[in-house]
Order: sequence, then structure tokens, then C-alpha cells
Amino acid sequence: MTRTRRAFVTLAMLLSLGVTPLAMAQQEDDPWEGFNRHIFSFNDGVDVYVLEPVAKGWNWAAPKPVQTGVSNFFENLRFPIRFVNDILQGKLIDSAQTLARFTVNTMIGGAGFLDPASEIGLKQSNEDFGQTLGVWGVPSGPYLVLPLLGASNIRDTGGLVFDSAASITPFFIDGFITLGARVIDVVNTRAQFLGAVAEAKAASLDYYVFVRNAYTQRRNALVKDEDTKDADTPNDDTLYEYIEP
Amino acid sequence: MRRPLLATLLVAGMLATIVAAADDPKAVVQRTSDQVIAVLKDGSLSSDTKRTKVEQVVLSSVDFPALSRLVLARNWSKFSPAQQQEFVQEFQRHLSATYGKRLDEYRNENLQIVGDRQESNGDWTVKSIIVRGGGNDVTVDYRLRQSDGQWKIIDFIIERVSLVANFRSQFQDIVANGGPERLLTLLREKTAKGEPLSAS
Repeated sequence: MTRTRRAFVTLAMLLSLGVTPLAMAQQEDDPWEGFNRHIFSFNDGVDVYVLEPVAKGWNWAAPKPVQTGVSNFFENLRFPIRFVNDILQGKLIDSAQTLARFTVNTMIGGAGFLDPASEIGLKQSNEDFGQTLGVWGVPSGPYLVLPLLGASNIRDTGGLVFDSAASITPFFIDGFITLGARVIDVVNTRAQFLGAVAEAKAASLDYYVFVRNAYTQRRNALVKDEDTKDADTPNDDTLYEYIEP
Repeated sequence: MRRPLLATLLVAGMLATIVAAADDPKAVVQRTSDQVIAVLKDGSLSSDTKRTKVEQVVLSSVDFPALSRLVLARNWSKFSPAQQQEFVQEFQRHLSATYGKRLDEYRNENLQIVGDRQESNGDWTVKSIIVRGGGNDVTVDYRLRQSDGQWKIIDFIIERVSLVANFRSQFQDIVANGGPERLLTLLREKTAKGEPLSAS
């Protein structure tokens, strides 16, 4: 409830300043756009010339069930991140479910390659520390494109650092194996999005803005989920009003 | 016996029209999805025919002028009536060309409606999941608005990303820097370049 009140106060302040919420809904906070665009085109170059071709090869070589298995395996390894952030957001039922998922999939899901937990209705929570910070009221800060890692913002970048410390792999696996595993994870994940990325590039008139806006909308919605379970529409109603000058 | 049959048919036809007009938002989404999936599953159709048919089905359920106007937001009034009309047309062609290309990738996915709710301004949101299995399900919400008694889609929210908001953000800078003509030119170029099938 305090969140709602805070939102109202912010809204009132904005209105008094003559800044309509609409302007906010339309414009992402991107003061470093020039710099970001450079990193973005570097990342896109790496994707087009290295990652995408490799992912296409993997997609051709590995049958779909193998790809799904690999996705499941790495998803299962993200257990500590999910678990810690469920707890930090006070979602105890979700944290129990996350723990149960990990146990079931590790024990009877072939070390996580299969996903029997989903079949018995144990839902996967998709939490990370960036979202936790958002739930705690930390603003996202300006948009930021990270080299190789892609779209982010100040808050989520901090979250990423925390999450990588909480990740399972560094604890007990040798560095080279970790790196190798990371490469497989990235390539396999990219292979799941071959069509989607091609479509996004074809659909957008400005691919940079497309990604920036999609990232911002999605992260806001994921953070907001904590308050209202069914708030799937990422934008306030001003998005859906005709505006006359 | 001829006349009563004709009368029955007429009445049935009228009833069907009334029922169609009274479709609630959920039914509109369900019907659209059923029709699209039926076309996609029809092995006897060529890719070209499928694309045309899907386009017809989707366009009958989407209020494209409303959607286009929401995308342009305050810039709508910077367009002359002729430019507005051209924008609606070009934007629609652009989306058809882009998304039509991917219809061949259809792999028996199904759409499950998982809920709906009324929005504060009277619009309606229908929530769905495209079931693909393997943890790759996609959430799609449809925002519908009533016009002339018909519920029609005015936005697609895919994985929590609104299509209207996304294009609005992209088009804003383009119109701010180059005016309406610049946006129309870019759209035309994009469609011309991306058109994979014979122009119809």
C-alpha cells in the first residue's frame, strides 16, 4: 500500500511540475545514448559475425530435445540466485517451490536435464537481484548497454554483480570448465532466439530503441509483479488515450 | 417448402450476425486464434495463401486505425489526413510483411486463454499463453476496445512488452527529427526491402 501512496505522491509532483506521466511512458531514461549506441553496435557485430552463426550451427546439429535439456540444465543451476532472491523479496512460498524444483529436477530429472518439476506443477520463479532492488524501491537509473552482456540499467548491473557471486558454478568447478559451460549456455540460449531476433530486426525501424524500450517495459513489469499479481499490462492507461495537442 | 427454408436461412444468418457482433473480448481472441490456427494447420495451402488468409483473419479482429493512432500518440496531429491514412496503410503493410514471413515456422503451438479483466478506461485485456513446451511458453496479452459494438484488438503485449509502446518509442525520434515524411519513407523502404513474396 505504501508503494501505491508513493506512486500517487510522485504522480502529483510530476503533474505540479507540468510533466505528464505520458512523457515518462514514452521516453526511456537514456542520457548516455551516444555511448550506449556504440556498445550496442559492437555487441550486434559480435552477434552477427560470431554468436549467431555458431548458434545456427548448434541449432542444426543438436536435436530439439537436446537443446531443451541443455536449457533445463543451466536453468536448474540458477537455483541459488532464484532462491536467494525469492527470500530477499519475502516470497517464502516461492522460495520453497524453488527449492523443491531444484531437488526434484536434480534428483529425478537427470541432474537437471529434464524438468519433471514443471510437470507436477512446481512453477519456476524468475527472480534476480536487479528485481529485488526494484522491489525494495531502488529506481532503475539510466539505461546502460554493457559490452557483450547487452541491455541493462544501473540498478540491474549492480544486481548482475551480486547474482554472479551467488551463482552455483564458481564454487566448485574449475575456471576453464566454467568458461566452457558458459559458452554452451550462451550459444544454446541464443539458438532458442534465432527467429525472434531476426524478427525483431526486421520489425524495427530503430533496433536500438526497440531493444531499449522492450528491456525497460519488461523489467518494469517484472518488478511490479510483486505488488499486483495480475498487472501484466506494462503500461498505465495513458498509453491508450488519443492525444490531442 | 422452399420459402420456409429460405426464411430460416435468412433468420439464421441474421442471428449469426447478431451473435458475432455480441462477441465478448475473450470470444474475439479465441475465434481469431482458432481461425488462424486452422489456416496454419491446413497442409493443402501454399505459404502465400496462408499468409493472405491469416492477414484477412487478423485484420478483421484488429482496429488498425486505432492502433496506428495510439502508436503515433501526440505526433498523430502532425500528420495531414492524407499522411495519416498513408501511415495506417504503410504500418499495416510493414507488420504484415514482417510477421507474415514467420508463419512457416508454425509448429503446432496452441493458444490458451488464461484470464481477462476490464481496464479502468473501459478497454478489456485478454491474457493468453502460447504453449510451446520445454519452458519456452510465451505470454501474450491482447488489449481490446469496443467500436461500433465490436470488440477489436488495439494492442499486443508479448512477454510484457507492448507493441504500441515499443513502436511509439521508435517513431518518436524519427518524427521529431525528420517529420512525418521521414517516417513514411522509412516504412516504405523497409517494406520494399523486406518483402519476401511477390508484391500483391
